[in-house]
Amino acid sequence: MARRKAPTVKEDVQCNLIPMVDIMFLLLLFFMLGADMSQREQADLVLPTASEIKEDKPDKSPDPATTVNIQHRQDSSTFSCPINAQGGYCRADDHWAVVIRGREVPITALKDQLKAEADENLETDVDPAAGVRLSARKVIIRADRAAPYGMVNKVIETCSLSGIYKVEVGAAVPAPK
Amino acid sequence: MAGVSMEGDENPVAINVTPLVDIIFCLCVFFMISFKFKQLEGKFDSWLPKGKGVTGGVSADIVLDEVRVAMYWDENAQRTVRQLKNRRVDDDEELAQLIKEAHADWVAMNRPDTPVTIDAEARVPWADVIAVMNLCKKNGIDSIEFALGAPPPQ
Repeated sequence: MARRKAPTVKEDVQCNLIPMVDIMFLLLLFFMLGADMSQREQADLVLPTASEIKEDKPDKSPDPATTVNIQHRQDSSTFSCPINAQGGYCRADDHWAVVIRGREVPITALKDQLKAEADENLETDVDPAAGVRLSARKVIIRADRAAPYGMVNKVIETCSLSGIYKVEVGAAVPAPK
Repeated sequence: MAGVSMEGDENPVAINVTPLVDIIFCLCVFFMISFKFKQLEGKFDSWLPKGKGVTGGVSADIVLDEVRVAMYWDENAQRTVRQLKNRRVDDDEELAQLIKEAHADWVAMNRPDTPVTIDAEARVPWADVIAVMNLCKKNGIDSIEFALGAPPPQ
């Protein structure tokens, strides 16, 4: 008796990729919007926390601003600081750098740079108290929590010598408990 | 005629989405790795007094009427020592209370604008200075000044 041949079932297994593509698009969009690539002015540092600060809002003030970051130098093949690496307070002035727009500015050249930026935005009237035209430019000082006050002091003093009086200091909002 | 059978195939145009998925995966991985939650930041207004040294000169009128918080760095203990009116204050609450009382004295004398001057040594960590500023703001004191050394002669 001739054997009956079993019918071959051709299975066509296809993976529907469309929902996956949808989800991945959403994820991509989230990460792209969340990526903070525009703020090159702000160096990556640990700010001191303060509960009473005014939270940053999109600045509506027409005054231009310069962000001055004070941060510890990064460890490299030629430089290392064991105190900072262990989370201690490094007090060596030359281990700390003043960084504006991602570029280190030596403290000796800071006055020239701030003065040039201050002069670009002078107020229209002579200030009666100071007797000169002061600058409308704002300086935001973002110093690492462990930075020596002397460095911040130098930056404030340089602002003062450059005719900048609108100084703000940055701090972080404490994490909610 | 031999050709592509469209039997059972509803959509004759098939798009190969595999390269698209590959690229999106790569982009996703890139953004996931570079993603960082940003810490919420804020600012303290610390505008410099216009008439006092903003043009580079030393203040002509030395203000003796003030609430001065002195801060020193104790190298051995690796901590900041805070003093108010020659009294060492370690506790934040106590310092806040003392600043409040000292400032209230000036307010009672009709001098509400009397500043709290933070006179910190150069080695004091910035976080400790900000902590004192924060205590002042907590007490509603907005007039805070930093004591600076005289600028070098031009």
